[in-house]
Amino acid sequence: MTMAGHDRSGLRKVRLYGVLLALLGLMMLPFYTMFSSTFKPESEIFSAPATLFPSDPSFQAYVEVWSQTDVLLWIGNSFIISLGTVVLTLLLAIPAAYSCARNDFVGKRTFLLSVLVVQMFAPVVLIVGLFDVITQFGLFNTYLAVIIPAAAFTLPFNVWMLYGYFKTIPVALEESARIDGASQLQILTKIVLPLTKPALVASITYTFLYAWNRLLFVLTFLTDSAKYNIPRGVFSMVGALQTDWRMMLTVSVIGIIPLLILFAFLEEYIVAGMTAGAVKE
Amino acid sequence: MSLAEEYTEASEDSRLERGLAYVQRNSRAYLLIAPAALFLLAVVGYPIIETFRLSLYRSPADSTIETFVGLQHYVEIFDSDIFYRLLWQTGRWVLAGVAGKTVLGLLIAVHLKGDIRGRKFFRTAFLIPWGIPYAISAVVFRWIEHPQFGYLNAILLKLGVIEQGIGILGNPSIAWLGVVVADIWIGTPFMAIIFLAGLQSIPQELYEAAAIDGAEKWHQFRYITLPQLKSVILIATLLSTIWTFVSFDVIWTMTGGGPISSTATLVIHIYQVGLQNGNLGRGAAYSVIGFLFLLVFAIIYLRIYTRGGDEL
Repeated sequence: MTMAGHDRSGLRKVRLYGVLLALLGLMMLPFYTMFSSTFKPESEIFSAPATLFPSDPSFQAYVEVWSQTDVLLWIGNSFIISLGTVVLTLLLAIPAAYSCARNDFVGKRTFLLSVLVVQMFAPVVLIVGLFDVITQFGLFNTYLAVIIPAAAFTLPFNVWMLYGYFKTIPVALEESARIDGASQLQILTKIVLPLTKPALVASITYTFLYAWNRLLFVLTFLTDSAKYNIPRGVFSMVGALQTDWRMMLTVSVIGIIPLLILFAFLEEYIVAGMTAGAVKE
Repeated sequence: MSLAEEYTEASEDSRLERGLAYVQRNSRAYLLIAPAALFLLAVVGYPIIETFRLSLYRSPADSTIETFVGLQHYVEIFDSDIFYRLLWQTGRWVLAGVAGKTVLGLLIAVHLKGDIRGRKFFRTAFLIPWGIPYAISAVVFRWIEHPQFGYLNAILLKLGVIEQGIGILGNPSIAWLGVVVADIWIGTPFMAIIFLAGLQSIPQELYEAAAIDGAEKWHQFRYITLPQLKSVILIATLLSTIWTFVSFDVIWTMTGGGPISSTATLVIHIYQVGLQNGNLGRGAAYSVIGFLFLLVFAIIYLRIYTRGGDEL
């Protein structure tokens, strides 16, 4: 390779990383404003124009937040709602997906396609009807009022994800286990599910995130502030006239830390889940 | 009884029998999908029917008495200026949002495609805005755009672009832009990840052949990348259109649809009318109109998804 060619590829690399870092910086900017504001004392956060760097960084906000807000309660509720949704969704999705992957029967195509349509049926256009149904069943102000709709709207993704994966597991494996005298349930829990781990992890992460992040159901079906989750808690701190920005941003930081840990460990599964419906191999 | 009648009766009988025998033979298959199917019927199917029913009734917020009014809600909606304003506001919201997400997503994906050191780090970092609560992103953007203490004003002042702090979210003519920026930020990672996966499935030989022919980078993008990525772009923008159309949490947390309803979209209006004002009937009628939009999107999606033979 000539010197000129070498220079050019080097230059291209510099430009490539330059653009990437610029894009990353742009996308990280909101996080910077959030984090940096939480390290400012009260007087600095309410000074105009804003200082771009905290002049005297302190952790004071992270000390006060536990006593001044209900952040611990909200996190606890977020876990209850997210884990409840995960359990309910999987209990419904695993049998359905397994049945579709292993059997051919009339109505299977209809079932799978209507499930796909449900995914498109955004909860917000259904919220008026849902509100009516939730109150009819006396679920208003219970965790189930949030868990049930969240499970319904994460079910499609779970069914399709697991269905696609179950199909790749050879039937021969199950048949040999059946000959050895294993029951249907044993086959599912001991042989099929362990092999499905990547799809299960993707499903669980997607469902967990969905339930953790959504405001709509909690806003509509839970008025009892003791059951607020993180998004609802943050929303409740937005005041009509006055907002305690320092506390609100600190709660926000704490509310996304569990998610950052999740991303760091499960990034590949999340990406696999995101691309499942859109990119056909 | 004529012979023909006897014959049809017999065949109907046996058809029923055959049907029952079929279900019995496949009983385990049906039993396993039954919980999921019934659950969806109860939690999604029933509310859909309930929404249609409610849209034919007038149900004042201060009473439990429903009066049947037929299609009156629809007539009133199509007669009102509000509806057409909502359509316009929803249209610009979706167009600007999807365009922004697509362009930014492509830009990120194209730059992440090659042999990048630390790609996993970059991919994870770019993913984060998509995966955190929308309400949190919304308050952060509210803070950035704060008329007095916001970072945006501080930066613009420092750069000398403006001389006085501006209040974006309080200004009816530009508030929607302040909100759509947040929505683009949230929706871009999904597009980037999908496009990246699509880019990685393009055969490398195509680029090598083009490079030998001396094609420039831009031409490679225009004549190889874009055509090869066509179906991925189609599906991703369609999904993004749906999600932007129904985006609720961000708008609700940033502006609640205001000021003077300038950031309200169709779904925001559904919530305001149906749940905030408690006018279930009118809210339901708006919801049905929302269904129709989603139905069109869903049909297109299913067409694309099931195209090219039996994939189930």
